[in-house]
Amino acid sequence: MKDKMTIILFSGEMDKAIAAFTLATTAAASNMDVTIFFTFWGLNILKRSVIATSKSQNILQKMFNTMSTSRLPITKLNMFGLGPWMMKKLMKKSKMASLDELMKLAKQLNVKYIACTTSCGVLGLTKENLIDDVNEFAGAAAYLAEARESKVNLFI
Amino acid sequence: MEINKTLDCIGLFCPMPVIKTKMELENMKSGEVLEILADDPGFIKDLPAWCIMSGENFLEIKNENGVVKGYVMKK
Repeated sequence: MKDKMTIILFSGEMDKAIAAFTLATTAAASNMDVTIFFTFWGLNILKRSVIATSKSQNILQKMFNTMSTSRLPITKLNMFGLGPWMMKKLMKKSKMASLDELMKLAKQLNVKYIACTTSCGVLGLTKENLIDDVNEFAGAAAYLAEARESKVNLFI
Repeated sequence: MEINKTLDCIGLFCPMPVIKTKMELENMKSGEVLEILADDPGFIKDLPAWCIMSGENFLEIKNENGVVKGYVMKK
């Protein structure tokens, strides 16, 4: 049986997501089954378009999804978006893998994505708002069922 | 040691050298030797650690004037 790794991706910052996906891809390349459970701000990483609004959302949900988007900030020195732009430039220059590249690799390596249905419900997000790479929509019990079998479990 | 293939990871950072190593080995036959060139100093510890997890046969890793050369035999 393969070892398992589970990650709760709660944060919606680019730097934290890169850390999570660096570990997820490495584990998946090291003969482990990897599951990432996206909840709260972590769902921004999975949004299909920058502003994930839809007709079925109420006014508060629309406001929320307009302000909290897939254009991810960074944890420090965000400077209204200048920080992420600078960081992306630096990473490209030093040939560090970008979040997009890591996410493509994660799918190639069969990393499983679970989107939290409670967070989706609160924010009015549906399958249509998120990328096709999401494998499952589920809750805490589905996550725990995987996490209790896993050897490595992280909250990021 | 007979080298069957060389993988150039110069300029790449973690996790790319390890992931490229895995992908390259997938296209090789059992018993063949892959040479990996890298310049991320972390790779010196990462390659043997990855071999333990993946079950691939770690042969050697050395640092020659800043170029790390690793050798893995496909299981």
